[in-house]
Amino acid sequence: MAYRTYLMVCAGTGCVANQSIKIKDTLIKELEKKGLQDEVAVVTTGCNGFCGVGPIMVVQPDGIFYQLLKSSDIPYLVEEHLIKGRPVKKFMYIPSEKEPPIPKMSDIDFFKKQVLIALRNRGLIDPEKIEEYIARGGYSGLAKALTEMTPDQVINEVKKSGLRGRGGGGFPTGIKWETMKKVPGDVRFVICNADEGDPGAFMDRSIIESDPHAVIEGMLIGAYGMGSTQGYVYIRNEYPIALERLLKAIAQAKEYGLLGENIFGTDFKFDIRIIRGAGAFVCGESTALMASIQGMPGEPRAKYVHTVEKGLFDFPTCLNNVETWANVPQIIQKGAEWFTQIGTGDVTNDPWGGSKGTKVFSLTGKVVNTGLVEVPMGITLREIIYDIGGGIKDGKKIKAVQTGGPSGGFIPESMLDLPVDFDELTKVGSMMGSGGMIIADEDNCIVDMAKYFLNFTQEESCGKCIPCREGTKRMYDILENISVGKGTEEDLELLEDLSYMVVESSLCALGGSAPNPVLTSLKYFKDEYLTHVREKKCPAKACRQLNVYTIDEEICATVGHGCDLCKKSCPDFAIFGETKKAHHIDQMKCHKCGACYDACNFKAIKVE
Amino acid sequence: MERSIRMVTVNIDGKKIEVAEDTTILKAAEAAGIWIPSMCYSDLLEPYGVCRLCSVEVIRGKRSRIVTACNYPVREGLTVNTNSDKVKWIRKILMELMYSRWPNVPVVKEMAERLEVTKPRFVSLERDESENACILCGNCVNICRDVVKASVLSFEGIGIERKVVLPFNEQSETCISCGACAYVCPTGHIKIKSLETERGALQDFYLGPKSAINIPTLQAVPRVPVIDKNSCIKMQTGGCGICSEFCEPGAINYEMKDEEVDIEVGQILVTTGFNLFDPQQIPQYGYGRLDNVYNSLDFEFMLNSTGPTGGTIQCKDGSEPRAVGIIHCVGSRDENYKKYCSRVCCMYALKFAHLVKDRTKAEVYQFYIDMRAFGKGYEEFYKRLLDEGVNMIRGKVAEITEESYNGNKPHLLVKCEDTLIGKFREIPVDMVILCPAIEPAQDAAKIKKILSISQSPDKFFLERHPKLDPISTMTDGIFIAGCAQGPKDIPDSVAQASAAAARILSLISLGEVSVDPIKANVIEEFCSGCRICNNLCPYTAISFLEDKKISDINEMLCKGCGTCVAACPASAITGKGFTDEQILAELEGLLTV
Amino acid sequence: MPKITIADLEKIREDTKRTLNFRLGTCKAKITVHMGTCGIAAGARDILSSVMKEIEERKLMDVIVTNSGCAGLCSKEPMITVEMANEPAPVKYIDMTPAKIKKIFDSHILKNELVKEYALALGSEKTA
Repeated sequence: MAYRTYLMVCAGTGCVANQSIKIKDTLIKELEKKGLQDEVAVVTTGCNGFCGVGPIMVVQPDGIFYQLLKSSDIPYLVEEHLIKGRPVKKFMYIPSEKEPPIPKMSDIDFFKKQVLIALRNRGLIDPEKIEEYIARGGYSGLAKALTEMTPDQVINEVKKSGLRGRGGGGFPTGIKWETMKKVPGDVRFVICNADEGDPGAFMDRSIIESDPHAVIEGMLIGAYGMGSTQGYVYIRNEYPIALERLLKAIAQAKEYGLLGENIFGTDFKFDIRIIRGAGAFVCGESTALMASIQGMPGEPRAKYVHTVEKGLFDFPTCLNNVETWANVPQIIQKGAEWFTQIGTGDVTNDPWGGSKGTKVFSLTGKVVNTGLVEVPMGITLREIIYDIGGGIKDGKKIKAVQTGGPSGGFIPESMLDLPVDFDELTKVGSMMGSGGMIIADEDNCIVDMAKYFLNFTQEESCGKCIPCREGTKRMYDILENISVGKGTEEDLELLEDLSYMVVESSLCALGGSAPNPVLTSLKYFKDEYLTHVREKKCPAKACRQLNVYTIDEEICATVGHGCDLCKKSCPDFAIFGETKKAHHIDQMKCHKCGACYDACNFKAIKVE
Repeated sequence: MERSIRMVTVNIDGKKIEVAEDTTILKAAEAAGIWIPSMCYSDLLEPYGVCRLCSVEVIRGKRSRIVTACNYPVREGLTVNTNSDKVKWIRKILMELMYSRWPNVPVVKEMAERLEVTKPRFVSLERDESENACILCGNCVNICRDVVKASVLSFEGIGIERKVVLPFNEQSETCISCGACAYVCPTGHIKIKSLETERGALQDFYLGPKSAINIPTLQAVPRVPVIDKNSCIKMQTGGCGICSEFCEPGAINYEMKDEEVDIEVGQILVTTGFNLFDPQQIPQYGYGRLDNVYNSLDFEFMLNSTGPTGGTIQCKDGSEPRAVGIIHCVGSRDENYKKYCSRVCCMYALKFAHLVKDRTKAEVYQFYIDMRAFGKGYEEFYKRLLDEGVNMIRGKVAEITEESYNGNKPHLLVKCEDTLIGKFREIPVDMVILCPAIEPAQDAAKIKKILSISQSPDKFFLERHPKLDPISTMTDGIFIAGCAQGPKDIPDSVAQASAAAARILSLISLGEVSVDPIKANVIEEFCSGCRICNNLCPYTAISFLEDKKISDINEMLCKGCGTCVAACPASAITGKGFTDEQILAELEGLLTV
Repeated sequence: MPKITIADLEKIREDTKRTLNFRLGTCKAKITVHMGTCGIAAGARDILSSVMKEIEERKLMDVIVTNSGCAGLCSKEPMITVEMANEPAPVKYIDMTPAKIKKIFDSHILKNELVKEYALALGSEKTA
């Protein structure tokens, strides 16, 4: 059946949370009402990445991009666009108040600058239909590997491509595969790590939601190269949609004989099992993840003997992240040379020599366009933030970029022209991590943010080794003290000393990288820390305990007419004043919770 | 895959040391006499690597790296610095972290002193850790899971909330009380509550807790340790095996099994002994239900200087009994249980009374039916006891109960009718010793079958003649002695056994046995091979010849009883000298005038 | 379902090609049916249906159909605009009937020959 128009409704977690399934149902109903059901098809796709403006619908073949839809908008939209052929401007993307709406998806800056490899099928195919994946060239990489290449050639191709682990460490995938291949033994495993735990990061979820077969194909190719017959996907149970799509994809692949025995008529066999994780951050660490698969508590162990030699159940095991696996089919299909054209450095002789390909980032924080972006390695932070992200919200000034989640660090504004690749980010004390990117503006306090990340790591530490368990807790305590005005300069020294020790002596990478937010913030924003400990002030006014709240009596009386909102919101009964007259705060009683500031509609509360 | 051990040379603190490849740095340093601090290391376990105190600097080319010595395997040419400034700095902060959390744990304190940490820069956490000496090294969890294979303990919580618990904080049913966790605990936080300290607590017949490897008794011959199969972790779960690692001569053998040995003998002396009647069958006496009610063997064990109390007579709570009741004829001379007299109880009861009097200040009451002191010197001993002031109460005990007056410590109350004064009495005591009946060994019926001997109605083995031949049985070559034949005391047992031994020896020295001439005989032509006779023969003298398909009588075993002769349907068996013709001829002779 | 072979992959790809070309917007020809109120009144819906039918019957993989609003020339409705990937300017046809559509498919779409007698003009007006 041929349709003239396709309505690609985003069904990623972000859009589903914003009722995109309801929109899909309304669309189908509306199309039937208008008798268009045979001409217009509704397709649910994976995440488009522009989650900040969801729910999203793209009308193809015109490429018209609609955002922030509500199911009540649908009848109007169908009438106007599909019957009368008039794209509806009010649902289109508007870059700024002064500019006209942009109808076409391909013209929106957010999408224009992206280079898609891992996410190349996003928004284009229905992730629950294997045929559509195949139609986009899917499984031809596997076909090529199985029929035209030897396992060694496959590994060599990946090695030549310079692909590096997208999960955080940036270890060259080809080298890992090669080492594993050399270890003797018949039983060996490949694992896909889909236990994405960084706060605010959802790259892996999005890839599985929009293109689960790419991950399966990548694992198949890797398994063929390394001689494995059993794969595992460790996915967190908090990703219900991704889990469901992956289960469906595996079932379809099995039905098509792409998983199981004699794949494509060769004697290669492979199967995938799904292991659902309970969502412990530490289970993203490879050895902890394997322990978890084995049914033991998710605790890392010393990796002096690598997992490619002795991993899951003590057999050689190759663990790669979702994004890494999703890159593999493209590399095999199009060749390593194609892949090396994108990115930085030279990897012809040394896989550590540069960063090739693309990286998916989840762009969040104080940026206009938040969402998931796939960019070529070597793009500058400035390009990501200003060109793709559309700059800082409300015209504020950028303060820092935090990359790599709780394991990464802060990069100050002065370094925005830093090209984004594994080595450059590590050089400045941060890291690529799995791809979290949080933009902080002048309203964010660096101590507060460091405290936030430390709170995360000290809560998520498995507690096995002393530096991580005791050390991160102490670091958090010190930061807490600083943020409430009890910090001293000795505390800063101790904090730095302790941070370096935790980096050096922790058992696993979680502890080893946990102090990064503290260390980079101390390095680039020492002044702000000093203001906190010397003057007991928070320049960003985010550490509320250091603020002094007062009421501008004039505004209160004249503009707000003594509305009493602040008085009602104050838990300490510290605000006095009669209705319709100016109010004031009793500083002795004030506990600086900031509730009045949030409550006041007239900006009469002043913070110093 | 067998791999030959390769020796490698490593450089630790400038010392060149040759060790086997894959040895850990900690072990290599230990061999070289270099001390590396560690809190969580145990020889018994795979290194867990959590205290990080053993951090050392490994130098490879220009790059140095901090690793933990406990689990880093050495390679050829490795250079290690165990005491660089960086290492010292790491250890110092680690120690500060530990010391501030566990300021009152002696092991931590000692280590802190050794690493010159006196005042940590961190304040103690708000939580009160002073009582909690667990430093979360995980040794207990690991030994329980990896060595004992019981997995009783586990970690709970993550981050700073981590702690060692029993899952769901419930009493574990899988804990085998092996004590391994307490053994590996570096701080002594895990304590094993030994029941031995609860003096007088007799958990089971014979003893309370005993380790899986023990020397059965001090008198054991040969005096070597044995492994108790039921409590050995290795034999129960396949785990542990630590004893074999520690035994230097390699004498531990888990594969040893019970063997069956066939020995051909001419004569057998059965001395299978007796069982003690289980007083729990008489519930009103409270044995097994009430504290401080013991049977005679329990009490004998308590008296033993190598016993659980070291020979002190005491109640379960450790106190000395104020009064002790000794009850005779528990199960014996009783129409409901054993009708016979067990013969030995009166005398050992008197011995108990004497020892209680000797070792404590307790009042002793003997509850008896008849005092049977019949042996040489026995009556004199009884008289002596009466002089010692033992109270003799003639009467059968009706009931023993536990009573407590005015909230005082509960005591036992022995209720019985004193038949000499014709009154019902209730006597309060702290301890009761029951003297249970002697009963035949449990498997007497089995042995009877194997040896083709008989049991008397009381189920002891039956002698050939109670007066004239009390040591042999109806089966030739099988003799009995001791309590297997009937209740008796040690002198009687010795006498009977000596007699049996002499009888056996006389047969051996003779070199031959004489048998009665009266035998049964199979007439081969008539035998149909029906095998009816085979099972009927009480002396198992008839066997079946497979090649001829007929039954055959072993003349040495046959006693000429005639059972088979009567039973044979084909009249193929005749008694020698007792054929029908012969008997009829005899009858004819008798009747002829 | 039997195991798929590499040849099957190709077949699936062929079968789904049109759908995907549509979604990607890659095509040889794009036909826009003008469907303002005037166009609908003049029978644009029938025209749209016949365009779809032609594509269906000829199994064309790379021709996409879309609709637009009133072109301003209401008297000449129903109209269609044909854009060919290899031609510089779109062509507007006026006063369409199903028969005329057939002809346009025969010559313009398949043979790249303009059907001059139905054409209004070459090119489209510039928008500001």
